[in-house]
Amino acid sequence: MPTRGRFGEWTRTAAVCAAAVLFCAVGLRAAGPAQAQAPAADAIARGQYIFDAAGCTSCHTDEKNKGQLLAGGVPLKTPFGTFYGPNITPDPTHGIGGWSEADVIRALRDGKDDDGDHLFPVFPYTSFTKMTDADAKDLWAYLRSVPPTATPSKPHDIGFPFNIRLAQMFWKRLFFTPGRFQPDPAKSAEVNRGAYIVQALGHCGECHTQRNLLGGMDTKLFLAGNTRGPDGHAVPNITPDPDTGIGKWSDRDLVDLFKEGMTPDGDFVGGAMAEVVRHSTSKLTDSDIHAVIAYVRSLSPVRNRIEEKKAQ
Amino acid sequence: MSKGLRLGAAAAGVAVLLGVAVIAEAQNAPAQINQRQEVMKANGAAAKTLTQLVRGEQPWNQQAAHQAATTINTNAKQIPSLFPQGSGPETGAKTAALPAIWQNKADFDAKAKALDEESAKLMAANDEAAVKAQFGNVGKTCGGCHESYRAKNP
Repeated sequence: MPTRGRFGEWTRTAAVCAAAVLFCAVGLRAAGPAQAQAPAADAIARGQYIFDAAGCTSCHTDEKNKGQLLAGGVPLKTPFGTFYGPNITPDPTHGIGGWSEADVIRALRDGKDDDGDHLFPVFPYTSFTKMTDADAKDLWAYLRSVPPTATPSKPHDIGFPFNIRLAQMFWKRLFFTPGRFQPDPAKSAEVNRGAYIVQALGHCGECHTQRNLLGGMDTKLFLAGNTRGPDGHAVPNITPDPDTGIGKWSDRDLVDLFKEGMTPDGDFVGGAMAEVVRHSTSKLTDSDIHAVIAYVRSLSPVRNRIEEKKAQ
Repeated sequence: MSKGLRLGAAAAGVAVLLGVAVIAEAQNAPAQINQRQEVMKANGAAAKTLTQLVRGEQPWNQQAAHQAATTINTNAKQIPSLFPQGSGPETGAKTAALPAIWQNKADFDAKAKALDEESAKLMAANDEAAVKAQFGNVGKTCGGCHESYRAKNP
C-alpha cells in the first residue's frame, strides 16, 4: 500500500523512532494476529451500512475498469499528485487480510497502517477518527466478509517532498485532531446524529472545505466550499447561507439531492457527488437523511461564493 | 414554368442548401457548446416542472407532464450529435464536458440512448402514479451520465 521512494526506508525508520519519542506509549500494538472467528451476520449488516455511509467503495473499488469489490486502483487526483485507493479486501498478501481489528481501528483513528507507518490524509482518517468504537468494529466485520482479491495495490504517483511519510507526522501535528465525536449537549439528538454522519462517516468536509497549500483544512470555513476539490473541480458551499450556500433549499430539495442527486433547478449532480449519491446518501435511512439536514441547517451560514473555474 | 426559371429555382435551392451547409460547417465550437448547454438547460427546466408536479407543489397536470417528458425525449435524441469530436475543453471555451466523452463515445451515446428510452416511457406514462414511478428512472440516467462525463458542480 505505501509508496516508498528513495527515502522510503530511511523515512520509515525515522518515522518509527520519532513516533516512539514523540508519542511515547501511543501506538503500541496490543493486537494479535487476525481473528479466526467469522464475524456475526448482524455485525456485517450494520457494518455495511457504515461502509455505505462512509463511501469506502468510491476510492477502493475501480468500477470504471470493472475491478473487483474493494480491490483498489481508483485514482484520486490532488494538488500533491495522484493517489490510488489500495486493495482492502481480506487477501492476506495484497489486501488487509493480515490486519487485526486493532490495526483497522488504529488506521481509522490515527491514520497509521499495520506497520505503524503514517497513512496519507487522502484516506480521511481526519474524519474517521471521530467514528464510534461500535461502528468501527462493525465496519471491520463487513470488510472481513467481502471476497478476498489478489490484486496488488497501485503505488501512489506523488512527487517529492509530499511522498515522505515522515512529513506526514508533522502534517498530523499541524492539521490532525484525533479523538472520537463529541456530541454537543446543547443540540438535539437529531442534530448530533447528523453531525456524526457528516463529520465522522460521510467525511463531507474533506471535499467541501477549503484547504491551505499544505492540504490542511481551514476549519473556520468548514463546509463552506472548496475551489480546489478532487480532480481540480470546485466543490460548493453547503452552509445555510441563502445566496452562496444551501440556505434557500427546502427540506424536500435536500431529500431529493440525497436520494436522487437532483438539485432545485432540475439539474442532476455530476462527478464525485454523483458517486457519493449513488454509493452513500441514497442508501441512508430516512431518519439519517433528516438528521443530516437538521445538522446542516444548524450550522452558521458562511458567505463564500464558489465558482467553477474556466475549464482547462 | 420555363426551363430557365426552373434552372434558376434549382440553382437557388442548391445555393440555399450550400449556404446552410456552410453555416453549419462554420458553426464554431463555442456555438456548438452554447447549443448543447441550451438543450441541457431545457432538460433541467423540464425536470423542474416534473419535480413540482410529482411533489404536488403544482396541481396535477397530465398535459404539462407529458410535454416536459416530450421535451426531454426530443433533446435526448440530439445528444450524441451535439458532442462532435473536437468540441471539448481543448477548444479553450468554457465547457463542463469532460474529455472522457470522446474517449468513450460509444458509452456516452449509449447513456444518451438510455435517456431517450426512459423519457419515452415517461411520455407513455398516462397518469400521476405512472409519471411518479417513472420520473426517478429518468433522473438516474441524467445523473448516471453526469457522473462520468460532466465536470460542473451545481
